[in-house]
Order: sequence, then structure tokens, then C-alpha cells
Amino acid sequence: MKTTRSVTILVLAVFFGVAGLAAQAIAIRGGTVHTLAGPAIEGGTVVIENGLITAVGTNVSVPAGAQIVDATGLHVYPGLFDAMSRLGLTEVGAVDVTNDYMELGDYNPHLLAMTAVHPASEHIPVARANGITHTVAAPNARGGGIGGQGSLIHLDGWTVEEMVIEPSVGLILSWPSIQTRRFDYATYSSTERSFREAREEYEADIKELEGWLEGAHQYKTALQAGIDVERDLKLEALVKVIDGELPFLVSANSEREINDALDFASENGVRMVLVNGREAWKVAERLADENVPVILGPTQTLPRNEDWGYDQMYAVPGQLYSAGVKFCFASFSASASRNLPYEAGNAVGYGLPQEEALRALTINSAEILGVGDRLGTIEPGKIGNLVVTDGDPIEIRTQFLHLVVNGLISSSDNKHKSLYERYRARPQP
Amino acid sequence: MPSCVRQRMAVFRLRSSLALVGMGLLLAALPGALQAQRPIPPPHFAIQNARIVTGSGQTIDRGTIVMENGLITAVGSNARIPDGAWVIDGEGLTVYPGLIDAMSNIALPASMRAAADRGRGAGQAEQEQAAYSWGPEDRPATFTWMSAADDLNIQDDAIETWRNAGFTSVVATPERGIFPGQSAVINLAGDRARDMVVRTPVALRVNFRAGAGHTGFPNSLFGGIAYVKQSFIDAAHYDRAWTIYDNSPAGLERPQYDRALEPLRVALNTNSYVLLPGDWAYEVQRAVKIGGQMGVNTMVYGARQGYQIADEMAAQDIPVLLDVNWPEPPRDADPEADVALRMLRFRDRAPTTPAEFERAGVQFAFYSGGAEPDKMLANVRKSIALGFSPDAALRAFTLSPAELFGVSDRLGSLEAGKIANVIVTDGDLFGADTKVTMVFVDGRRFETGVETLAQAEEEEEEGEAGEEEPGEPEEVLPPVPMVQDRGPIDPADVTVIQNATILTVSQGTIENGSILIRDGKIAEIGTDIRVPGNAKVIDASGKYVTPGIIDEHSHTAADAVNEGSIAVSSMVTTEDVINPDDVAIYRAAAGGVTTASILHGSANPIGGQKAMIKMRWGETSDGLMFDGAPPGLKMALGENVKRDRDPDRYPGSRMGVMDVIRQALLDAQEYQAEWDAYNQLSERERRNAIPPRRDLKLEPLTEVLDGSRLVHAHAYRADETLQLMRLAEEFGFRIATLIHVLEGYKVADEIAEHGAGGSTFSDWWAYKMEAYDAIPYNAALMTERGVLSCINSDSDEEMRHLNQEAAKAMKWGGMSEEEALKLVTLNPAIMLGIDDRVGSIEVGKDADLVIYTNHPLSVYSVVEKTLIDGQVYFDREHDRALRQQLEQEKQALLEKEEGEQERPRVTTDSDWEEVQR
Repeated sequence: MKTTRSVTILVLAVFFGVAGLAAQAIAIRGGTVHTLAGPAIEGGTVVIENGLITAVGTNVSVPAGAQIVDATGLHVYPGLFDAMSRLGLTEVGAVDVTNDYMELGDYNPHLLAMTAVHPASEHIPVARANGITHTVAAPNARGGGIGGQGSLIHLDGWTVEEMVIEPSVGLILSWPSIQTRRFDYATYSSTERSFREAREEYEADIKELEGWLEGAHQYKTALQAGIDVERDLKLEALVKVIDGELPFLVSANSEREINDALDFASENGVRMVLVNGREAWKVAERLADENVPVILGPTQTLPRNEDWGYDQMYAVPGQLYSAGVKFCFASFSASASRNLPYEAGNAVGYGLPQEEALRALTINSAEILGVGDRLGTIEPGKIGNLVVTDGDPIEIRTQFLHLVVNGLISSSDNKHKSLYERYRARPQP
Repeated sequence: MPSCVRQRMAVFRLRSSLALVGMGLLLAALPGALQAQRPIPPPHFAIQNARIVTGSGQTIDRGTIVMENGLITAVGSNARIPDGAWVIDGEGLTVYPGLIDAMSNIALPASMRAAADRGRGAGQAEQEQAAYSWGPEDRPATFTWMSAADDLNIQDDAIETWRNAGFTSVVATPERGIFPGQSAVINLAGDRARDMVVRTPVALRVNFRAGAGHTGFPNSLFGGIAYVKQSFIDAAHYDRAWTIYDNSPAGLERPQYDRALEPLRVALNTNSYVLLPGDWAYEVQRAVKIGGQMGVNTMVYGARQGYQIADEMAAQDIPVLLDVNWPEPPRDADPEADVALRMLRFRDRAPTTPAEFERAGVQFAFYSGGAEPDKMLANVRKSIALGFSPDAALRAFTLSPAELFGVSDRLGSLEAGKIANVIVTDGDLFGADTKVTMVFVDGRRFETGVETLAQAEEEEEEGEAGEEEPGEPEEVLPPVPMVQDRGPIDPADVTVIQNATILTVSQGTIENGSILIRDGKIAEIGTDIRVPGNAKVIDASGKYVTPGIIDEHSHTAADAVNEGSIAVSSMVTTEDVINPDDVAIYRAAAGGVTTASILHGSANPIGGQKAMIKMRWGETSDGLMFDGAPPGLKMALGENVKRDRDPDRYPGSRMGVMDVIRQALLDAQEYQAEWDAYNQLSERERRNAIPPRRDLKLEPLTEVLDGSRLVHAHAYRADETLQLMRLAEEFGFRIATLIHVLEGYKVADEIAEHGAGGSTFSDWWAYKMEAYDAIPYNAALMTERGVLSCINSDSDEEMRHLNQEAAKAMKWGGMSEEEALKLVTLNPAIMLGIDDRVGSIEVGKDADLVIYTNHPLSVYSVVEKTLIDGQVYFDREHDRALRQQLEQEKQALLEKEEGEQERPRVTTDSDWEEVQR
């Protein structure tokens, strides 16, 4: 019964999708609306028109001809935001030719993830089926390098043009690290090299980064002075950073690296978002003071040092929250993107308030990535990315029953579901 | 403290002592190289008026020692001095037996040294030349026929350095490869190499890792151990075969000569020492256990964490070569590096090992372990300051090594008739400023410290004598008290868990229930249990209790995972490499895991044998074992197996994978038939029949064939899964578990019919091609079609929330709560053949229980307590308190280490320049 309905809706969606957004109107009625911008609204209605939320409340008029989603007894939430992923950029990890998240060369500030996003990737519907409605598809950077720019996309659309919300939300910079341990092929074992040697390399890497920024300043000055310089795409991209138009999304893990990255950002006057931040909990006070938000790397992971508390990584979200650091969750993956809600859920057991867990999957992510005015809550004027569930969206057994992406009813069909249905129907041999 | 200052002080003292013996300063003018080779040769020496520490228990306050023709001829307060002897006035001097370094690479040729000792690149060059080893039959990294005594390098500069420091003998021990060769006791003087040898062979050293310069099997710790075991089995067989053949060769096929086995055969027949490596306590225990399995006369070398197991070593009567190169903070380490508490404790306590050994009565001798002689002595001084007696210290340098290597009748003490290896000092041997002034080796006299004197002259010319007061004896602080951080918390024989929601898994849910635990077993379950007076009571109001989580596939706490050099590595066993110090054990318990099957990796079609462990954090590796669990063997199919390797390793396709498994099983059948035929011979017939060779690779496969060993097969795609089941059916056995089996849902009916369990991931997919059709509905769909299913982790992290992973089967496929919980409890127990002991909450089963704050299938659930065999191994509240204590201990250790460190810490470039100066 349910299946038939969603198929019908899908057909409609496809029809309207092709016809354009103009005539599209959806009303989700009867559910508890968790707007995340105020108290939950019991028996509320959300109206979405032309891709945007136009009305939220209990006393809302539904436009004529709107598709009706009956959410009676159900819950409506903002669509979940995977703040950094490889969705659309990889298909099968071990098959190199399916990977497009990493380019050759250390400094590629001009590359744009959306130029490689594969809208037909099987990963996209799989993630969407578990409530992820949008993500920043982000390239990887080599240690000390700049990987390119992350693109904010809807997890539905026939073409990448339909999917893109923001072509760039920032430049991915992988902060260099001091690696004293190295694999030595001479003895076929890992060896320690001197700290001094490793540190020199680290400092040289940072200098080189500063050199790039210096280059961007000179490029900008030259252009402003009307000097006829050859167009340089890399420097052009970096100019956006020195102008404050885009942040550096700086991946750094250790306390030292995070501190050095913070120094770098303030000394060079660039905006910074900390990415990964395995030891961000050690620097929480400074992050809060300097208002630097964090896109948190996987927390369901082993403590780096055997002396850390067994639950140290599970506790990071709660610790950052308590310290007043704004943070959000991200999968940094394609295939595991669908598990993002559970990472947030797991953090609740270790000190993060449940509502904060939800915010760190929605509005915090949007604000950190500079789109808080368009995504993250259910409020008029925001983009129509919503999910309808039969319960708490970060609890494992909860089902995502309806999806609205980019103002359109979206399908929860995916490769996994269809394989399941197909083989479930296999006759007994 | 700068070492140059110490040297200068030494010089002044030396000069006066030299004057005493009337040597004058003329030697100072001789070039160094010449001095080295020109001992003072008169055949008779007598040192009189000296304090003589004989090393055999007696100290003569004022006596004479006489040496004639290389031997000690008299020691005593009234010993007669022969005519014509060179008489040395020993006023103010002390005479000791010459010191022995019980394991050394002095005078060894490069071919017998570890690659690391031969400079960078040595290993690589060798590796390029070495033939790839395809198994034990290639005798990899084996040099047993090489004997240190046969190839001594008399030009080695270290001979003089060590002799000058008072070392007159060393046990020259080849060190390269797994079986490096035969050791010899050598004296550190001689005109020709052969003059140096005192006794050979005295021992065979074994390394469990092949080290650099080796390629192919074995390339892992458990591979090395399996190879060593097989080699001794082969040596015994070799001996047997030759004995039978030599006895009556007619009609018998001649056994093959094997130079690698000959020395092992001798070692077995003469019960001579086999030196096995073990530094950390658990490694020592491992070495002792393996030595016992092999039936060799074990001597352990390393043992710097011996302080933890001294009584055990003494009780087992295992002699030890103790490495006195105590662990220290690495030079130029990252100042911000977060050093583990375990390492800090090791550094703090290693120097207490000698005192502990002395107290417990362990027989041991010292070896340098790469330390220079002055460092070695300084390290022993540190141990003395920590309670080790100087007498025992001298013994560990002299008589003990002599006894251990069978030369106490000629070395090790100052007794008439023994070799005249004698040293003379200007004070107590272990005094901080004591210098060795004279050394006699084989009765030939060597001056020491001449170069130092020349340096002193030079420095004096420079006009800065640098005279300093002799330093205060270094202050050695006692070890920082260790917080008890392992083992059961507040142990009790009888425990009652009360007021809990009990998810029994096999008998439904009991609200407000209690569980009575007695002697590690579940004694009663119910809502109305009387609490025995002696019981420990755990109130679980509002909490949930489940059976302990069982992880069907893990590599936790294993020091080795793959022996991937060869296609069939069934000779290796994970039981040999369980590391009880791995904190992952505690973390697993903190995640509710009580039992795990620790498997070999998936690098080859047939992998190694498994270990079943319980997470009894604090136990030895033996104590972690799940006794009575059926043994298992790993197999693997698909991409991990056929992946490109260098050199090419058959198989390279799924066709070849099946071929390798089929062929190995055929080999095992053949092997079994050989044994069956042999076992059918009469006693008399056997006397003249050479038995088959025991093959550690094929033995477990015969157990697979007869059904006594479970097969855990890593499989991804449906087609290979089917192929393997058909292959097993061809040979008449059942695959116990199909691991991962991500496409199991496609052939669920066939799996159910075969009777294999399906052990899958909850939802991992697409990380490789064969995982592209993986679906999170797999467990539910397989279950629906009658396959016994479970969810495994294959990851130290994932295993900590297997309850959450199981919950996913409710979402993807609609499993019931109880069925979902079974995926990580009862079902894996059944698959692993341990469901009579664990997997559900039933009377009579092991009290392996988890107390959760919330429903265990909720994302919000947190493990509050984990019980194994009725004892609490994890308690969240206790963990919090413990963490604070451990942090304090760590700070104390760091501060202590900081205080001890002479070297400035390198934090800036200018610091560095300082250090280099």
C-alpha cells in the first residue's frame, strides 16, 4: 500500500521535475513538526512551493493542487546534512577508476567538486533513504596541500545542475603534520626519523602555504592596479579566501596542528573552519574563544592513544558542546554517509544533549558552511529539504518514510532496497 | 652530565694507579693501534696486596693472585709467588674475575649480524638477492650451520673497547635471520681467531621474526613461530630417520642430508640451550610456552619486563639472559608526543628486574643488548641503587653466564686452575667512578685507558684541566607506584544482579528480574531470588541486562594477522600471538564484548588457526583463552586472495583459489593416509620404518576433513560462496561460518541447506568491487531463509557497538528485537560451537553479562558494566575514577623522567644546536 503510494508520488515527481519547479507545491500535514527554530508543532503543516518552504504552522492554508503528504502520527524534521562527504565522487573504493575525489598535485585550490559529481551514483539514493538530503561533496587534499573546493549539493536531481545549491563552500586544506615514524624499505619496518627533520619539513610545508597566500595577494594587487597579468586559476581561487569570500576548510588533527592552523588563519586573516579535529577537545576553549567551528571527523573511532579514556572519541561532541564550540557531524565517506544519524545518536549517550545532536546534523552544519539562511531548519523561506519519520531520526530503528529534496517529493528507492526485494522474491530452488 | 667531564676525572685517577704499578707513562706515546695488538707477554704474573673478589663467594681483603701460562695457579692471602714472576703491587686495587657479556655480536663477521647492524640498505640489498621462500621446506632465514667460532673477526675494534672496560669474554652469538647459527664462548684476546674460542657450540639463538634481508615465508610473527616449531619437529624426524637408516640401511630409502637440521638435531640430542626471544613479560611467557611445546631446553633472552614475572620464571626454572640496555626515552623525540603509560612504566621499572630476579631466585646473566660497556655498567649500577645486591651483580656478569654456557669449570671466578681472565680496578667494580686499570685475558696482560691518558695530556696543554669534584652518586629514585588497572573489579564468588530488565535471548524478557551468579556461572534467574548473605549485590534498576556480546570475527589483541607470503598458511596459529597488553581487550569489554573469535586475515585461500578469547583484561594470554572452544581454521576467497603480489603468488583468479583449496585438502588426505598406514604397522615393523614427517600445515587440514576443526571462510560473492560449499561437500565436511558473505542473501537457500552460518557486516558496502552488491538487509534476509546469521565487526572500533549494528537488522529487514539481539549473542555462539557455555542468559551458562543504561538496541544505550565469568571486568563508574588515578601516575612518571634526563629536550632549533655541541 505504502509502496504504491510512493510510486505514484514518484511518477508525479518525475513529471513535475521535468516540467520544472514552477507548479510544484507540497503540503506535509498532520505530523509533529520539529522546526529546530522553536518548539515542536504538534499536528502542524509545512507547505513547500517552488522549492522553498512557504508556510509552517497549525493554521496554514494549503495551496490548491498541492501534493499532500499525510504525516499523521509521524514526525517532520529538516533534511539531514552530511557536512562533508564523498557522495558522487566515488563508487567503489578499491576500484581506482571510480574515484574522483583526489587530483594529482599538492595545490589545487581551483578544482571544484561539482565538476566530478556523478548524479547517478548508487550511493546517493542509499544515503538519501536514511534521511540525508544534502551534503558537501568534498575533494581530498594531500598532507600540507589544497585539494579543491567542496560543493554543496542536493541528494537528488537528474543533473548536477539541478543538484547544486552552492558550487563552493570553501577550500579544503589538509594541514601538514609532523610524522616522525616512517616506513623504511631498507629494513622493511617502520622507523623513527628525527623529530627535527620531521619538524623542518612541517615548517617548510607551512611556509609554502603562506607563499601561496602571498602569491594571491600579489595577484590581486596586480589586477587592481590594472597590470595585465596572465589569468591564474589557482591564485584566483585563493583570492576568494584572502578576501574572506570563502573559508579554508582546514583538516587538522593533533593539538599542535590545530593550534598552528589557528595561528595561521589569524595571522593571514583568513576564515577557517576546522575539519576532522581528532584532538579538538583539547583545544576546545580556544576554538570557542576564536569562534572557529568544527566539522567533526568520525567519532565512532578508536582513541588515538591507549591512555585516553575508552570513550574519549564518543565524548568529543559533548565536550565541544559544553565548551561552546559550534560543530557538526560529517561522514567523509560515500558508503557510510547513511550512518551519520547514528554517530550523532551515539554521542548522546556520552554527554551530548539529544537536541544538540540533531542540530549538529542540520542547522549547525548549515551555519558552519555559510548557508544557515537557506538550510537547516523548517522555516518559511528556506529550501524545501525535509524528512518525515516514524520517530526520532537518530534512533536506529526509525524509518524515513517520506523525503522532500529541493522542494520535490523524493524517492527512498535505492540499489539495496531493490536487491532486497528482488532476492527476497527468489523462488525456493 | 657531560661525559667529557667524567672522562677527565677518570684520567687523573688512572694516572696515579698506573704509577703504583710502576708502568710509567711510556705507553702513552705508542700509537693506539699498536697498543691494541701488543699485550705484555711474560708468562707469570702475581698481584699482591690487593683486595681479591673471587666471585665464588669469597673475598680476600689483602691477598695475592698468581697467573702462570694463562691459568690462575694460586689465590689466597699467602699464595706463593713463583720465581721470575712479574709482581704487581695491588695496594689499593681490587681484583675481580673478568666480566662476561652473555650475548654479543663482538667479533662476528657481517654475515652473522642483523641487517640493522650493517647500516642502511644492507637489508634491502640482501632482500634483492634472496630467493623468495615458499615455506618451511625452503629453510628460510636459516643459518644453523654457521658457527660464530668458525669465522671470528679478530680485527673488530669492539674487542679492545670491551676488554678495556673489563670484559674478558663474551658469548658470541650470531643474530641474523630466524636461526642465526651457533654461539661460542670466546675470550677477548688472541693472536689468531682460533685462540679466542673457549667453548663451542654453546647455544642456538632463535628469532621469531626473519628481519631484514628476507623475503617470503615467514613474513609475520606467527609465521616465524610456526617455522621454528616445524624446524624442531623436522630435526627430531631427521634424527629418527637417520638413526633407523644407519641402523639398517638395506631396503630403506636414504634420508636426505640437511645442513640446516644437523645442528638442531645436535641441540635436541644434547639438550643444549635454545635462546628464545621475549622482552615484555607476555613475550617471555610466550617464548617459554613455545619452548615447552617444542621440547627444547629454553633460555629466554631480553626479559626487561621480567620484574613483572620474576616468581613465575623462578618457579618454572627458566634461565634468562637479561638485556641491561634499559629502555629510555628516544633521543630527539617529538616533545609533544604522548607517550603511553605502559611505556613509561616499562622505562621506570625495567632497572628493577635484576633485584626482582635475585629476590625470586631466577638464574640469569647480563647481556649488553646493544649498549656500550660503560652504559651497561652504569645501568647495572642503577639496578644496584634499586636494591639489587652487588654480589649478585658480579655473579650475573661472571659465574652465572659461565654456568649457563657450561664453562664454569674454566671461567667465571678466580680459582686456581681456571683460565686467567682477571680484571683489576681502582675501587668497587660498581662504584660510579671506578676504573678498570688492568685486564688479563688468558693470562696476558692488557693496559687500559692509555688513550684516555693521552687525551688528558692534550687537554692539559689546552690549559683547562677541567677538574671537578667527583659527582655525587647519581640519585636513583624508586619506581613510581603502579595503579592497579587490570583484572576483575571488586571480585566476588557470589553476585546478584537485581531489578533489571533481563533480555535472556533464549527465554524471552524478564522485567524486574534478578540473576544469581555463583562461581562464574549463572545459578538462578527470576523475579524472586533470595540474596545469599555473602553475595555482592548489583542494583540494575531501570537497566537492561543481556548476554555478553560475541564477536564472530575479530583480529583484536593479535600481534600478527596475516601470513600472506604463501597460499596456504594453516601452520600458523593466532593463539601464539595474542597480546594481553593490548588495550583493545579492555575497550572491547567496555563495549559489552565478552568473547571473540580471533582469526587469521584473508590474504590467502587457507589461512591460520584461530584463537577464541574472553576479554578477561589483566590475564595472561593463556588466561584469555576460551578453554574448550572447538578449534578453527580460516579460509578466504575473492579479491583479497587473488590480488596482485610481488612476486606473483598463485592463485590470481577465483579459479585458482578453488584449486589451491582443493589441492591442499587432497594433500591432507594423502598425508592422513601415510599416517594411517604407518600407524597400522606392528611395533616390530615400525622399528625399521621411517615414520612420516609431522607437517604442521597439513595437520589442521586433516582435522578439517574429519570435522573436528571448524572452517571460517571469508567469502563475499554469491558464486564463490556456493563454490566453496560444494567443494567442502565434495570432501565431506561443512563450512562452519561464511564470513562477511555479503551476497549471502543471493544464495541463502543453498547456505541453509549446506548448514553454514552466515556472519556478515551490518551495512558496510562498496569499498571494493565484491562488496558492491552488499545490502544491509543481508542478515535479516538470510535469517528469513533459514540461515543461522550473525553480525561481526572485523574492527576494534565496530566491535564496541555491535549491539547498535545488530539493531540495524530491525530497520533493514524488520527483524524482531530478540532475533536482532541473537545476531550478536546466541547465533555466533552456536556457530562457534560454544552455545553450551555462552550466548544467552540461562542457568548453568557462564555468567558473561552486560548491563546497559538503555535498551541495548537503542542508539542511546551505554554499557555500564560487563561481567565475564561472573566478575566485573568493566564498570563505567570505576573507569572514571581509575582514569584520574592513572593520569596522576602518568604525570608522576613524566616528571620523574624529566628529572632524570640529562639531555636537554629539543624543542627549538637553537636547543638542537646546543645538543649537537
